[in-house]
Amino acid sequence: MSSHPPDHQDSRHPTFKQYVLIAIILFAITIVEFLIIVPQSLKGAGVTLAPLFILSAIKFVIVVMFYMHLRFESRTLSIVFVIGLVLAFLAGGSLLTMFGALQPTPRDFARKHAVPFIPHDAEAVGHTEELPVSPPVILEPEAGATEPAAGGSDLVAQGEAMFTGGNCSACHTIDGKTSGMVGPDLTRIGIDGADRQPGVSAGDYITESIESPEAFVATGVERAIPGIMIKPLTANLSPAEVEALVAFLSAQK
Amino acid sequence: MAQASGQLPYSDVDHTYTSTGLNHRKLLMWVFLSSDCLFFGALIATYMVYRGQSIVGPYPIDIINVPVTTISTFVLLCSSFAMVQALAATNRDDQKGIQLWLLATAFLGTIFIGFQAFEFYEFLQEGLRIDGNLFGTTFFTLTGFHGAHVTLGIVWLLGMFIVARKGRVGPATALDVEILGLYWHFVDIVWIIIFTLLYLVGGFDAGPTPGMLVEPFLLA
Repeated sequence: MSSHPPDHQDSRHPTFKQYVLIAIILFAITIVEFLIIVPQSLKGAGVTLAPLFILSAIKFVIVVMFYMHLRFESRTLSIVFVIGLVLAFLAGGSLLTMFGALQPTPRDFARKHAVPFIPHDAEAVGHTEELPVSPPVILEPEAGATEPAAGGSDLVAQGEAMFTGGNCSACHTIDGKTSGMVGPDLTRIGIDGADRQPGVSAGDYITESIESPEAFVATGVERAIPGIMIKPLTANLSPAEVEALVAFLSAQK
Repeated sequence: MAQASGQLPYSDVDHTYTSTGLNHRKLLMWVFLSSDCLFFGALIATYMVYRGQSIVGPYPIDIINVPVTTISTFVLLCSSFAMVQALAATNRDDQKGIQLWLLATAFLGTIFIGFQAFEFYEFLQEGLRIDGNLFGTTFFTLTGFHGAHVTLGIVWLLGMFIVARKGRVGPATALDVEILGLYWHFVDIVWIIIFTLLYLVGGFDAGPTPGMLVEPFLLA
């Protein structure tokens, strides 16, 4: 393997042993990177980035210098490559600086310019209903603990407890009670609900909106994120719990 | 003064005339790699700009599997080692070695692509879509283009392997293998950066911070 016939190129290149050494160094750096990052992340502590960047840069330089033999080549080739590298860094750095200074942030911009949810779009996209996979699992962790519905104002109180204590409040605003920003404002849903679909009462409209959120979405109702209010979010509510929520929401006037 | 004797100033081992003293094909490859730095630089910068800006999940912490990708990173590093051995064998005119190391490089590259295919499949199962959120868009675009580069490299390696089986690769055509090696190693160094930024640094990013948009328990 390590015999070297007279070859003008080979003599300038590293030997087999040196290549093995380089490979070992590259492996070792990757292992060190892994060991730096994983324990920190498991602890949930902030990750120290500087060593990672330095180690990656060392790997990058080793590969370019030895595996790509740039160290043994004409300086012109190094200049050609470094020009591209520097331009890439400058372009990327400028982009990050510009966007870093951007107000509003891209996320705020996206929120602000989100289009109202239209069911037709949801069908066209097709997969939106699968998007948040995890929420249904943790939805209403204390749902089983809520007492069974009794009557009238008890039902409203129970519905309110579920709405404000559960996940509804994360997205929906009811003035003075909750302040979610994702879904429609439900402050006056007891009145508005009656106008949403001809011939459908506010109570029936709210029931349908809870049991199958995607079945009908009123025009002009602004939703920041199409496809986020979906059936799995409410699927594990019992009929009694739905009844309580409807009672509470119908009372929002 | 060289012209006086009827010759251009420089000629390389291929006897192609050059005014730079450099082989045209090697220079071309380096210019291409230089421009590819800009290509990947743009995609990486875009990922970093939109990092943490997704308003719906899944987020990196939900799906990125650092240990698995560390293994695939090892595989790609091994393939780079196999590639330099292929070039060394070519310079030695070791026909068996040329074929063995070229095939080993292509094989390791294919394993890397296999890891990526597995990863993409897993991510799709978890609900990450290229049009689902900013993380999905920037992640799939960047790693997808890198995967395309690796795939092209594998095709090139297998082509070179077929030529080598016919005994047509040797010291006289070492430049062919060397240029292929440059491309292959470049794909490797791009992955070094992607692995650091998307996996080690960005792989533990969670969703919007509390109070920003959606309550964190909704995203748990």
